[in-house]
Amino acid sequence: MNITRIYIYLMYIIVISCVIAFISKEHYIIASLLFLGNILPGYAMAASMMEKNEN
Amino acid sequence: MINEQIYRRFNHTVAACFVIYFLFPEHILGIKREYFIILFWVFLVAIEYLRLNKDLKVLGMRDYEDNRIAGFVWFATGTCLILGLYELDVIPQSLAIATIIMAAYTDPLIGEANKRFGDKWGIGLGLLCSFLIYQLIIGELFYSIIGSIVAVASERPKIKWFDDDFAMQIIPILVLTLLSSMDFSPDITQNILGGN
Repeated sequence: MNITRIYIYLMYIIVISCVIAFISKEHYIIASLLFLGNILPGYAMAASMMEKNEN
Repeated sequence: MINEQIYRRFNHTVAACFVIYFLFPEHILGIKREYFIILFWVFLVAIEYLRLNKDLKVLGMRDYEDNRIAGFVWFATGTCLILGLYELDVIPQSLAIATIIMAAYTDPLIGEANKRFGDKWGIGLGLLCSFLIYQLIIGELFYSIIGSIVAVASERPKIKWFDDDFAMQIIPILVLTLLSSMDFSPDITQNILGGN
């Protein structure tokens, strides 16, 4: 389970790093797509993890 | 326990980040970047081999994937093939980027829409999502319309040895690449991120 959590945190880091990388190269459309496409599943994932922690 | 459905969806959308490959330098640690595609693919196949044959537990697998190649391997195989074909100058960079992002978002969206609202909504939202992504990246209605229709059509058939995660990338990109080489087709921007 710990490995899974680390992997999930790693996915957040990957998304944030990629968005920053594309913004820094002024490719705003791709950066926006990466951000917007991951925001909903990313939020749902975080909510799911917090819900389990409360339990 | 983590919600495996949400975990699968998040894994799928994060796969759009594969396009970071196009920002990598030509050589990484003195090695051509395309060799890292092969290395990455071999690593995933090794994990899949251990999962299928040595009972390695991988979170987020569906029941029917117990005895068949998992979706993540199909998706990564499709993406690695696209990156490899780009390196061989077979496909334009703009189509590669648009198709990878499109497949990463459209497939889970169709799955979620099918589940919540029914098949018709799945097809409609899938078409809308893939059209918008193609249009935002390529900016040509001709390719956006054809690409979105082919992508959603590729998702429909359920074939054991030809997963939709793979089909949704390979079929649209081959069709669009073929079309872009035809005289009657509008010109397409080859490289949108610089590249080789």
